[in-house]
Amino acid sequence: MNSTIIQFTQVTKQYDNDPPVLNDVSFKIERGKFYTLLGPSGCGKTTILRLIAGFTEASKGEVLFNGKKINHVPANKRQVNTVFQDYALFPHLNVYENVAFGLRIKKMKNAEVDRKVKEALSFVNLKGYETREIREMSGGQRQRVAIARAIVNEPEVILLDEPLSALDLKLRTEMQYELRELQRRLGITFIFVTHDQEEALAMSDEIFVINKGKIQQSGTPIDIYDEPINRFVADFIGESNIVTGRMIEDYKVEFVGKEFECVDQGLNPNEPVDIVIRPEDLEITALERGKLQVRVDSQLFRGVHYEICGYDKDGNEWLVHSTKKATVGDEIGLYFDSEAIHVMRHGETEEEFDRRLEAYSDVDTNGK
Amino acid sequence: MDKKMTPLSKLFLLVIFFILYAPIFFLVIFSFNSGETMYDFKGFSLEWYRELFQDTRLLIIVLNTVVVALLSALISTIIGVLGALAIHQAKKRQTKNTLLSLNNILIVSPDVIIGASFLILFTMAGIKLGFYSVLLSHIAFSIPIVVLMVLPKLMEMSPTLIDAARDLGASRWNVLTKVIIPFIIPGIFAGFFMALTYSFDDFAVTFFVTGNGFSTLSVEIYSLARRGISLNINALSALLFLFTMLLVVIYYFITQRNKVNGMGVRKH
Ligand SMILES: Nc1ncnc2c1ncn2[C@@H]1O[C@H](COP(=O)(O)OP(=O)(O)OP(=O)(O)O)[C@@H](O)[C@H]1O
Ligand SMILES: [Mg+2]
Repeated sequence: MNSTIIQFTQVTKQYDNDPPVLNDVSFKIERGKFYTLLGPSGCGKTTILRLIAGFTEASKGEVLFNGKKINHVPANKRQVNTVFQDYALFPHLNVYENVAFGLRIKKMKNAEVDRKVKEALSFVNLKGYETREIREMSGGQRQRVAIARAIVNEPEVILLDEPLSALDLKLRTEMQYELRELQRRLGITFIFVTHDQEEALAMSDEIFVINKGKIQQSGTPIDIYDEPINRFVADFIGESNIVTGRMIEDYKVEFVGKEFECVDQGLNPNEPVDIVIRPEDLEITALERGKLQVRVDSQLFRGVHYEICGYDKDGNEWLVHSTKKATVGDEIGLYFDSEAIHVMRHGETEEEFDRRLEAYSDVDTNGK
Repeated sequence: MDKKMTPLSKLFLLVIFFILYAPIFFLVIFSFNSGETMYDFKGFSLEWYRELFQDTRLLIIVLNTVVVALLSALISTIIGVLGALAIHQAKKRQTKNTLLSLNNILIVSPDVIIGASFLILFTMAGIKLGFYSVLLSHIAFSIPIVVLMVLPKLMEMSPTLIDAARDLGASRWNVLTKVIIPFIIPGIFAGFFMALTYSFDDFAVTFFVTGNGFSTLSVEIYSLARRGISLNINALSALLFLFTMLLVVIYYFITQRNKVNGMGVRKH
C-alpha cells in the first residue's frame, strides 16, 4: 500500500488581492506518523489545515488524499477530523452527545454509538463524565472531549490546531505525553499545529517549519535542530548564536576573524555563509584553552542550567547554556567541537540542501 | 449599577412609577365597582366581569385576537429566523449593514404610517379587509422584531461550530437543525413572545386594516370607549393588562434561562 496519504502539489492560497497566504507549497504526509506544522503567528498553519479539512479551497495547485484530488470535495465528505483551536464543542449538547455527534449523523445504531462513545471517552481518560455539560468542564478536559469527538469517527487523519495553547505549562506537558501516546496507540496520522518549538521537537516524527506561507524546512526534530537550513529556522528552533562567516575550503570555515575546522563540505571556496552554534554546545573553559574568548555580561539561573550571555571583542553576542556558574565581568574561554559548527548557505532551497547533505554522506560512507 | 441610589432618586422613581401605573390601577379598581361610574366607588362586585363573559360578541373578538396573535407570531417567527439567517450569511459587511438598517427602519417607523400604507396596499391589491388583512399586517410588523431578537444569538455563535459540524460529516441541513437552531433557540423564543405581545396590543395598524365584522380587542375597546363610559371596558382592560403581564413574566423567564445557558458559551 502506498504510504502517502495526503499530498500538496504547488498549492497557493490567496484571498482577494492580498499577497498569497500560502505560496506554492508542496509536501507529502505519510500514513501513521505524527507531523507538526511549526511557524510564527500568521504564517499559514491554520490555512493548511483548513485546506486539508475542506473548509476553504486552494486558489492554485492540487490537494490529494490517497492519491485522489479532493480540491472540491466538501468537508463533510472527507476522511479527516479536526480538533479546533477553540475546541468548538457544541454548548447545547453534553459530553456524551458531543462525542456521539458524528456517529449520529451517520445514523449508527444506538447500541453501537454507546459502545464507541464509551470507548473513545475512556481513551482520553474521561470515563464517568458522560452527562456533564461542556461549561462544567475544565480547559484540559474540554480539549480531551474535542479529541474524543474526533477519534470516535475513526478518521484516517486527525488535524489538531494548537490544541494545547490555552493550557498551563504543567497540564500542557502532560497533554503532550498523552497525545503522543494516543497517536501511537491509534496508529493514525496526526497533523499538529503549534508555534511552540519545544512542543514540536518533543512530539513529532516530522516537523514542517513554515514562514510567510512557505515551508522553510522539513525533517525529523533532530535533523531540523542540528542542521537548520537558514537563519530563520535556526533562530526559530531553539536559541542559537548566529554569526556571519566564510567557507574557506572543505572542512575549513572562518568567522569572528579566526579559522575553524568543521564537518561541512561541498561549498564553493570563499563562499559567504551563516554560522550557527547552539548555546548548549558551548563549554566554559579557561581563557587560553577556549576557541573563543568572551567577557561575561549577564547570567540567569534557568533551573536546569545557567544562561550566560557574553560578548567577544568584536561585539558579537554569545549565549551559553552551562551547568557551571560564571562570574559576571570575567573573561572566559569557550570551547566547542567541530561538529557543533553548523554552516548555512545563503538562499539555499531545501532540495539543494538535502542533495548536498546526501552527497557528502555518500562520500563519508565510500571513504570509510 | 452597584451604586446606591440616593433617597431623592428613589423618590423620583417612585413618583414616576406611580404616575405611570396609577391610571391602570384606577381602571382596574373601578372594574370591581358595583356602581355605574368611574368616580363613585359604591362597593365591590364582579358584575362587570360577569357581563363581559356573557357577551358572546366580545368573546369572539377575544378569540380573534388570540388567533391572530398566535398565528402571526408563529409565521413571523419562521420568516424572521430565515431572514436573520440570510442576513447573517451575507458575505459583505455592507450588505449586512444595509439589510439590518432596512429591518430597523421598519421597527422605528410609526404604526400609523405602517397601518396607512398597508391599507393602501390591501385596497390596491384588492384584498378584502378582515381577518387576513389583519393577520398579514401583523406578520409583517412582527418579522423585523423577530430578526432583531435572533440575530444577536447568531452573531454570538462561533463560526468554528459550523466548521466542526461539517467536519463531523453534517450536511448543510444537519448543520441548521442540529447546531444552529438549538444554539439560537432562546432568541427564537424571545422573538416569538415579543411578536405575540406586539400583535396582542397593537391598535394603530389593526385599526387601519380591519374591516366590517372583524375586530380585535384593542380596536373594540377603543370603539366601546367612544360610545360612552361603561365599566365593561374596565373589566376588559383589566383582563388584558393581566394577560400582558403574564407574557412579560414568561418572557423574563426565557431570557433568564438564556443567560444561565449562555455562560459557558461566551467564554470562547
Ligand atoms: N478569510 C481570510 N481573509 C483574508 N485573509 C485571511 C483570511 N484567513 C486568514 N487570512 C490571512 O492568512 C494568513 C495566515 O493565516 P493562518 O490562520 O493560516 O495563520 P496561522 O499560521 O494559523 O497563525 P496563528 O498561529 O496566529 O494561528 C494571515 O495573515 C491571515 O491574516
Ligand atoms: Mg492558527
